[in-house]
Amino acid sequence: MTLTGEFFAFMALALVAIIGGVLLLNLNKVVHMVVALIFTFVAIAGIYILLNAEFVAAVQVLIYSGAITIIMLFGIMLTKPYDDEGESASNGSKWRRILLFLGVVGFAFAVYVGIYNFPIDQVPSNLHENNTLEVGKALYSKYIIPFEFVSVLLLASLIGAIILAKREDKEGDSK
Amino acid sequence: MIQEMLQSSPGWFNFIFFFIFGLVLLLVVLGFVTYSILAERKVMGYIQLRHGPNQLGGRFGLLQTVADVLKLLLKEDIIPKMADRPMFILAPVIAFAPSFMVLATIPFTDRFQFADLGVGLLYYVAVSGLTVFGILLGGWASNNKYSLLGGARATAQMISYEIPLVMSVLGVILLSGSLNLNDIVHAQKHGWFILLQPIGFIVFLIASTAELSRTPFDLPESESELVAGYHTEYTGFRWAFFMLAEYVYLFAMTALITILFFGGWMAPFGFLDFIPGAVWFSLKFCVILFLYLWFRSTFPRMRADKLMEFAWKILMPVALANIMLTAIIKSLFF
Repeated sequence: MTLTGEFFAFMALALVAIIGGVLLLNLNKVVHMVVALIFTFVAIAGIYILLNAEFVAAVQVLIYSGAITIIMLFGIMLTKPYDDEGESASNGSKWRRILLFLGVVGFAFAVYVGIYNFPIDQVPSNLHENNTLEVGKALYSKYIIPFEFVSVLLLASLIGAIILAKREDKEGDSK
Repeated sequence: MIQEMLQSSPGWFNFIFFFIFGLVLLLVVLGFVTYSILAERKVMGYIQLRHGPNQLGGRFGLLQTVADVLKLLLKEDIIPKMADRPMFILAPVIAFAPSFMVLATIPFTDRFQFADLGVGLLYYVAVSGLTVFGILLGGWASNNKYSLLGGARATAQMISYEIPLVMSVLGVILLSGSLNLNDIVHAQKHGWFILLQPIGFIVFLIASTAELSRTPFDLPESESELVAGYHTEYTGFRWAFFMLAEYVYLFAMTALITILFFGGWMAPFGFLDFIPGAVWFSLKFCVILFLYLWFRSTFPRMRADKLMEFAWKILMPVALANIMLTAIIKSLFF
């Protein structure tokens, strides 16, 4: 393996993404977790750029910046922000810990083997030039039916949200 | 030149070169911020029949902002005892960094651009959306109810107005057929997009004022209700970073409007080509900047509930109708 700029960029982004994920699991306050999540998502957007998918990267940042701020707002609204941390991490028995460790190692090994032997056909493509145009072409010709299904799904969820919000309003009025 | 540099093999020389270029741009932007604050105060002063700053640095108060910044640097840095310390420190950084990042893709002239991205416009919108984390985080970490309310308002406002903002430029994208800012400028060779997209321009101008949270839409920091909104607890340099982010966005947004609707660096008529592009760009830039300053000093603040209704019930349908109209015009006449 040669040490190229791409390698360094990938390593840095991957490290940020993984550290963000680990912090997300280990931090105690909701807002801190969400900040860790931001770093993970932005790092993944960077990896998309390394893979020449600049459109997907921009959309990832665009969509998730809205989504994560909403999560953060809900986190602030639904939790007590300045609670002292009550219980520390629960310590199981010794056997339980060993089994847990073995499970983690086994899972890591299985994933490693699975990924290492995964057959990826290297198809030459010209996605790196006019990335947005190519995405649009594929979306509106080859994948038009899944695309329409997704939009119907979104519409259904939109209507669902409106109905939920409306019902609450009516009860408030009757009171 | 930068294009060649980007494609050459990496090395320390390139790193140092880019670093110096970035630093120069930062200094230029800082200079702009200093004098745009002065311009804002002078314009507001004259609109309100007074003189504005006129003591420090000659008749026009040319050193007023410099002195203000110096004062901010010397101020005591206070972190409230009950604040969430790491987040309190991180928030101004998260708020400022994207505001400088978006400048990378803006073509100031045909030569002077840092990154010629294929998805330049989308990059701008996406990265500028990251600032709202910093604002919400700062509001939350201060552990102050006014800050939190300001942060929550900023979030709701920025997410709501981002939608008409993007929708209104879709017309421009349709006409030019590209997301690349250079291509958009070149597509305006025979007519600025403000002539072809008047509705889109108005929607964009309103939504961008809201994104910048300037006066008719400055609810996140409305001083009569929320003290100072999300930066109530911030002092000194950290506060300066929030302000800096705001004015760098003003710079970036004005530049973006110049590019999208006023033909960027290109001369309005062919026979005026002998004047360099940088001059045209800065002329257009100044006119639009004045428009923003004018807005700020003449409009009253909107009410919070009206603000949301305005975005979703007026701007959004208008922007959608504009897309339809543009699509019809494009298929009929182009």
